[in-house]
Amino acid sequence: MASGAPTFYELYRRSSIGMTLTDMLDELIGEQRMDPQLAMKILSNFDRAITETLNDKVKARLTFKGSLDTYRFCDEVWTFLIKNVTFKMENGGQTVVADKVKIVSCNAKRPGDAP
Amino acid sequence: MSNQTVGAVYAQIITDVIDSSRVDFEEMGVEESVLEDLKKGWQRKLTQLNVAQFPWDPKPEVVAQAAPPQPAPQQPAATPSYTQAQLNPTQDVQQHLSFPGGPVQQNSGSNGPPIKNEPAFAMNEPVIKQEPGMVNNGMPGQHPGFPAAPGPGGMTAAQRASQQLAAKYGQSASASISAIQNQAQYQGQPQGYPQAQAQAQAQAQAHAQAHAHAQAQAQAQAQAQAQQAQAQQAQAQGQRPGQPHQQQQLTPQQQQQYNAQQQQQYRQQMLAQQQRAQQAAQANSQNGASNSQMDGSSEAYEGVLLQRDADGNPVEMGRIEIDSLLHEQIASRAKQMEGGGLMLPLKEATKHRSVAKKSARAGGPSQVDGFDDDVKDEEVDEDAINSDLDDPDDDQEDDDDDDDSMGHIMLCMYDKVQRVKNKWKCTLKDGVLTVNGKEYVFHKATGEYEW
Repeated sequence: MASGAPTFYELYRRSSIGMTLTDMLDELIGEQRMDPQLAMKILSNFDRAITETLNDKVKARLTFKGSLDTYRFCDEVWTFLIKNVTFKMENGGQTVVADKVKIVSCNAKRPGDAP
Repeated sequence: MSNQTVGAVYAQIITDVIDSSRVDFEEMGVEESVLEDLKKGWQRKLTQLNVAQFPWDPKPEVVAQAAPPQPAPQQPAATPSYTQAQLNPTQDVQQHLSFPGGPVQQNSGSNGPPIKNEPAFAMNEPVIKQEPGMVNNGMPGQHPGFPAAPGPGGMTAAQRASQQLAAKYGQSASASISAIQNQAQYQGQPQGYPQAQAQAQAQAQAHAQAHAHAQAQAQAQAQAQAQQAQAQQAQAQGQRPGQPHQQQQLTPQQQQQYNAQQQQQYRQQMLAQQQRAQQAAQANSQNGASNSQMDGSSEAYEGVLLQRDADGNPVEMGRIEIDSLLHEQIASRAKQMEGGGLMLPLKEATKHRSVAKKSARAGGPSQVDGFDDDVKDEEVDEDAINSDLDDPDDDQEDDDDDDDSMGHIMLCMYDKVQRVKNKWKCTLKDGVLTVNGKEYVFHKATGEYEW
C-alpha cells in the first residue's frame, strides 16, 4: 500500500477474527475515538497480516469430502455449499463432521493484483 | 492441523495488525491508548466467541482482570467531547486508569496483563515474546508529538467557534432571537394577560425610557471599544463593525471581547426596539384601539399558528416552533422531489406528495377535524413505500446471514478447481474454517465432492 505493495483480499474479514476486529473498530468509531479512515487502514493491515500469516506460519493440511449442493463462480470467486461434509485433519487424525459448510474461495494466482 | 494452532496464529495476526497500525495511529494523531483498547477488546471478543483456545486466556484470572477495566474506559470515553479525547491524551489515559478499579486496576491497566501473559506467549509462540517490551514502549500514554500542538487552546477554539456562530446566527436571524428574548421577558407573566399587562407597562414606561437612555450610552461605548479593537489591527477601512469576516482579523482575546460586545450591543438594540414597540402598543390601547394586534413583537400572541394538543385544546405556537415546522416541511418536500434518494414510479411519488399536503394542512389553524386520520395516513404511507422495495431483499439477506452465523464457513483461496461430470476436485490453500463452533486454519486442503 504505502510502498506500492500489493493489495490483499478482503475475504478474511468475514472470519471470526475479522468480524471481531470490525466490531471493535465500529465501537471505537461509535465512541468517536477513531476515524473511519483509520479503521479502513487497520482493516487493510489486517488483510495483509492474515494473508501473510496463513501463508507463512500455517503448515496444516486437511482433506474433506461431501456432496456438493450449490456451486457458483463469479468474479473469480468460487462459492460452494457442501452438505454432509467430513473434514479430516492430516496430522492429528481428527475428524469433524458437519451438516453443511459454505466455502468462499478467491483465486490464489492473483493475490497481489488490484481487486 | 488442529484447533490448537489457531490461538497462536491469531495471536500473531493480532500482534502484526496492532504493530503495523501503530504508525497509522501516529499519523492520524490518535492516542496509543485507543490502540491498546482495540487490541484488548479484539482479544476479548474472540475469547467470547470461544472458537479456540487463545494464548491470552489460559489463566482465567488474567482474563478476569483484563476484562473488567475494558468496558469501563469505553463508557467514560463516550461522554467527553471529541475534542477532549482527541486533544488531551494524558487526561484520557488518566480517566481510563482512575475509573472504578483503584490502584490495583491501575497496575493491570498500564502493564499488568501483557506481562502476566508472557509465559503463555513464550510457550506457544516465540515471536510474541517481544510483546511485553513492545507494549511497555507503546504504553507511555502520551506521545511526545501531539500534546504540544493543540493543547488547552482547543477548548477556547471551540468556544470561539460557537460564539462566532452565535453572533452570525444572531445577525442573520434577528427575528428568531428577538422571539427568544421576548419569551424570556414574558416568561414570568401569565399568557392571557391583556389588560393587566397594559397597566403594568404604563407604570414601567418611565423606567424603561430611562433604561433605554442608559443603554444607548452603553451602546455607544461598546461601539467605540469595538472600533478600537479594529484599529489595533490596522485593518480598519471604514467598515462597519459587525461584518463577520472582520472578526477573523482579531486576536482570540479581542475577538471574544468583541463578540461579547457585539452580542450585548445587539441585545440592547433589540431591547430598545421592543420598548419602542411596547410604547406604540401602549399608545394604541390608550386610544381605544383593539388589543388584538398580531404583527408586533410586544404582543402576547406572537405566534400566528395554533396547534392542537393531545386533548384537542388549541396551543399557540412560538416563532421558533413555526420556523422549525416550516423547515421540516420544506426539507421533506425537497426529499420527496428526489424520491428520498430513490427513483420512484410516478404513481408512488405523486401519492406520497398528496399525503404530505394533507399533513401540511393539518398543521394549519384552519384544521377542524381530528388529527387521528393524518397519523394513520402517515403510518400506512411508510409501509407502502418501504415494503415494496426492501422486504424481499431483506429476506434473502437474512437467509444468507443465517448460513454465516451458523458458523459453517470456510474462507480460503483456490489453486485448482476441476470437474469431471458431477465429480469435483479442488485444491485450496491458506484457509480459515469455522465448523461446529470451532475454528481451524490450514495451509492446504483438498476436497472431493459430488454434485
